[in-house]
Amino acid sequence: MLTGLPLSTILLVTGFGLALIGIWGILAHRHLMRIIIGFVLLDTGFHIVMVATGYVTGGTAPIVDKAFSTAEAMHSTIDPVPSALVVTAIVIGMSVTAVMLAFAIRLYESKKTLSIDAFTESKW
Amino acid sequence: MVASLIHPLNIFIVGLGGGFVMPLLYRLGKTWLVAGFFVALAGITAISGLSFLGLLQGGETIEILTAGARPPVSISLRFGMSEGFFTFSVNLVALLGALQLWKRLRGNYAALLLYLILVMGINGMVMTRDLFDLFVFLEIVSIATYGLLGLDRAPAALSAAFKYIMATVVASTFFLLGTVLIYYVTGTLNIDDLIVGRAAITGPIGATALLLVLACLIIELKPFPANGWGLDVYETAPSGIAAMVSVGVSAGVFFSLLKLLPLFEGQLDLIAISGGVTFLFSNLIGLKQSKVQRLLGYSSIGQMGLLTLALALLQQIGAQASVPLVVGGLFVNHLLAKAGLFWFAGLARCTTIEGGLISLARRPLMIGLLGLFLVAIAGLPPFPGFWAKWELVMRLAATGKLPWIVVILVGSLLEAAYMFHWFTKALQPPFDETTTTWDGPALLPVLGTAALLVATGVVAAHFSGIRSAWIFAPLAVGIALYGLDSLPGRVKVALMLVTVLLVGGWLAFAATGIAWLFAVLLLAGSLVIAAAGLYREDIRPGYYPLLAVLLLSIPALLRSTTSLEFFFSWEIITLASCFLIANSRGGGPFVLTFLLFSLLSAFFVLAGFASIASVSGTTDLDALLTRGPEATVAFILLATGFLIKAGAVGMHVWLPGAYAEADDDLTAILSGVVSKVAIFGLLIGTYVSIRSETGLALAHAVAWIGMLTTITGALLALTEDDFKRLLAYSSMSQLGYIITATALMSHLGWVTALYLVANHMMVKGILFLALASVILRTGKRRFAETGGLRRTMPVTFATVLIAIVSMSGLPPLMGFGGKWLLLDAMADKGWYLLAAAALFATFLGFLYMIRLVSGLFFGAAKLDQREICEAPSALLVPQFILIAGIVVLSLYPKLLKDPVSAVIDPQFAATLVWKSISLQAIYDYWNPAPVMIVAVMVAAALFALAWIAYRSRRNDQANLDRFFIFWRPAMSHNLPPVAEIFWRGVAGVALGIATNVRLIYTGNGQTYVFYVLLYVLAFYFTSTGLGGVIPE
Repeated sequence: MLTGLPLSTILLVTGFGLALIGIWGILAHRHLMRIIIGFVLLDTGFHIVMVATGYVTGGTAPIVDKAFSTAEAMHSTIDPVPSALVVTAIVIGMSVTAVMLAFAIRLYESKKTLSIDAFTESKW
Repeated sequence: MVASLIHPLNIFIVGLGGGFVMPLLYRLGKTWLVAGFFVALAGITAISGLSFLGLLQGGETIEILTAGARPPVSISLRFGMSEGFFTFSVNLVALLGALQLWKRLRGNYAALLLYLILVMGINGMVMTRDLFDLFVFLEIVSIATYGLLGLDRAPAALSAAFKYIMATVVASTFFLLGTVLIYYVTGTLNIDDLIVGRAAITGPIGATALLLVLACLIIELKPFPANGWGLDVYETAPSGIAAMVSVGVSAGVFFSLLKLLPLFEGQLDLIAISGGVTFLFSNLIGLKQSKVQRLLGYSSIGQMGLLTLALALLQQIGAQASVPLVVGGLFVNHLLAKAGLFWFAGLARCTTIEGGLISLARRPLMIGLLGLFLVAIAGLPPFPGFWAKWELVMRLAATGKLPWIVVILVGSLLEAAYMFHWFTKALQPPFDETTTTWDGPALLPVLGTAALLVATGVVAAHFSGIRSAWIFAPLAVGIALYGLDSLPGRVKVALMLVTVLLVGGWLAFAATGIAWLFAVLLLAGSLVIAAAGLYREDIRPGYYPLLAVLLLSIPALLRSTTSLEFFFSWEIITLASCFLIANSRGGGPFVLTFLLFSLLSAFFVLAGFASIASVSGTTDLDALLTRGPEATVAFILLATGFLIKAGAVGMHVWLPGAYAEADDDLTAILSGVVSKVAIFGLLIGTYVSIRSETGLALAHAVAWIGMLTTITGALLALTEDDFKRLLAYSSMSQLGYIITATALMSHLGWVTALYLVANHMMVKGILFLALASVILRTGKRRFAETGGLRRTMPVTFATVLIAIVSMSGLPPLMGFGGKWLLLDAMADKGWYLLAAAALFATFLGFLYMIRLVSGLFFGAAKLDQREICEAPSALLVPQFILIAGIVVLSLYPKLLKDPVSAVIDPQFAATLVWKSISLQAIYDYWNPAPVMIVAVMVAAALFALAWIAYRSRRNDQANLDRFFIFWRPAMSHNLPPVAEIFWRGVAGVALGIATNVRLIYTGNGQTYVFYVLLYVLAFYFTSTGLGGVIPE
């Protein structure tokens, strides 16, 4: 603990920071690839936040066996559920990113450009 | 064995299994693929359907816990009544949708797989009881949707899909964050545990987490203004996919909101406002839209807003018992009608409302289907939306939430405006007809949803407490007659007359009091006038079934005992007249105005009934008789509604076009018979006023409205060169008299009103049928193009003359008495100004009647009209019968007066006296001659003045024709069409707002994401206040 800050705080700050950078990327950049990267950053940022919520200071891995009773585990392990949720979320995020990239390829084929300003056919 | 096969868990096994197997089947062969897909999809539908059926038969809610563990560790699902209802309806529509979309799905195993997964995902969203699983199912649905959106490779479709992905990914990311934070605060993700432990979700993190989840669910429902991404997809996606997004995906999200609602007790206001704003604005912006699918998109979004609004408000007022009817009704109405409309648009290949590749104008089945779906979407009977809206308005009125009623009714009116605008456009024949045909099988799903809409409508009626099957009799007769629509025209007239006589007689027989009198009178009148239809030999597709519905709904309305039954028949009358006018040759452009004013009228009536029900606690029409002073608001609402429908001054703009452009014999029915329904409404509305002791002030106002209507109608009649329009304005003018008589609110006034009703029905029947004869023989409708017909059409001349005498109030026919009694009664009440106005109106009335007779029958015959012959007997005989009616009632007035007195007496104290004569004796002793002589003299003096003014300007040979031609421009210049300018202004303002507001939809995906983020933030800060960021 060199900084004196708990690990979970560092994680939270990093996570929200990444998410904000992601949002900024989505809103400010015009290039589809950069926008997609913004989405990935947003996703990743929130994943870090989620993991941080399950963190217990000084906790160990939640593996319950003969050496480690259930009662002890309740207090001294990190919460495994957020980690499990994050794994699922990562998988979903990856699929969504893949779909977005696939659309980006098709959009490029249709207009030979990746600028989001070119894709405003339907409006009003 | 069977029981375990139809277990709801199998929905997921079949869905996922089907998904995995499909690529293998694809390798095996196309037949295998098709079979596999449909077995899986039909299996999912069957499982949900059978399980739902089991619940309906009293089975218990099915709780599913996987992996042999309890929540929160297991995946927990629930299949109860509401889940069963939602999943089964969505699955059924998805199955039909797959058939409709078959051209695109066929052979594309990826698309089939995605479609199956989409359906399964929606089922999961509905059934899951775990917040994180909800997120997973939401993502499954989303990814499947993204994939299906990619089916269309058009650049616009791809860009729209990408915007959709951007917005929904942001929403679901925040949803995920909210979910995990809720777990952090509570330690559970099980929805039931969360609801039980709702009080524990506090603090900044808990509140934020809940708001994130809620805001994201709302975002997924595409709230205004953060919904451009949804609209773009609705516009560009293949119609079948757009339909699934509109009804399927939205259903899943909406159900999630429904089951999580107990968590959001504190945000109900916010949810309601979000829904209300969305409903109002998307319907407003829809007014400017001309692309069909985008139009449907606005409507979809509006409907979701309405559902959200209804859900939140019902929860707030504690009316959970009404949720199944209101939310279920609105949901299934939107589901079926909107899916049907999207498929229809795809089938008919309509891209803009101006028309598609396929002309609809000459395809009655297609027009019928379009009409049916639009009626359903507009929340009109007999579809579920109607019953749901009625119940919603009643519940809201009962708890005093009047502003919300206004929001709902205004939004509904706007939605009806643009939806029916499409309908009237579709009726017009296209410029270049292509002979493209569609494939018959693709029509099946559309027909299927139409049939389901009808069926669910009947079920919803049952839920609304309708126990009387007779209210459906007019529609049933209409459907039966439609089945015989290929018979020759005259056979159909005969068939229609017989059924109307039998069924109408049966309906009228059960009515009581004034209603009975109206029923008998109007039924007899409608049979005689409708018989004139025999003069047309052509087939008139759809005309006679609709006419039967119209004519039968009138006795049905009159025998109603509750306001719901009354309102149901009222709306059916509106719809039947509207479609009949639309069916007429030149009616197209006037249908929309007619319908919108009719709906406006209906909404006022609905609000009036709701107001009565909130005071009396019952929807019995008898409640109208017993209320005290608190019913003033109800009276104003009811009177306004009925006055609009009667074409009172200012609201009359719908009348001339509709009357003049309807088929000639139809106009006779509309003016002679249908207009009297509004008068009946006014009479029962006046009960309220009398009982509420609203006092003379309001009555005086209504009397003035009636008199101004008379004068305006007469003036407008005089400005017309088109004699059918002249007669239309005359009809408006005469109704004004009846309105005034009703407003006298005395025994005397009412006897007069009923007397005038009978008189006007017969007179206008004769006159419009006579005009039908003239138009049939000459083919002209302008005074300038005809004249001198007294030699060639002597019989018609005679009938017109008799009718005019009866209408004018001159002796000896039955019109004599009524109007003069009215004058006398007004003077007697001290309403001298009104009486003076009535004298002026009499003069104007004489003028236009002279104009009609002289213009048609005197003067020189036109060269090409010298050889024409008398009207056919099919048109003359009904006129003779009506004349016989006038003669009989003139000779034996007791025949009408006795029953009139008998039904009116109970409404007033029997001891009322007038000028110290008991009421029964008035008509026997009263001598109308003096009043009449005064009135005729005044009229003659005014006429002399007008004539002198004319002669002083023109020194050439004077005759009547020139007299009218001299005065016509003077009047049309000095009579600015104030009402028309006003209503055009209203429309202009609405369109102007729509034009400007829709500019927020820039088409740029980043802008849309920005709106989404702003929406979430606005939602957050509105709910927490700034305390959310600044710790207290």
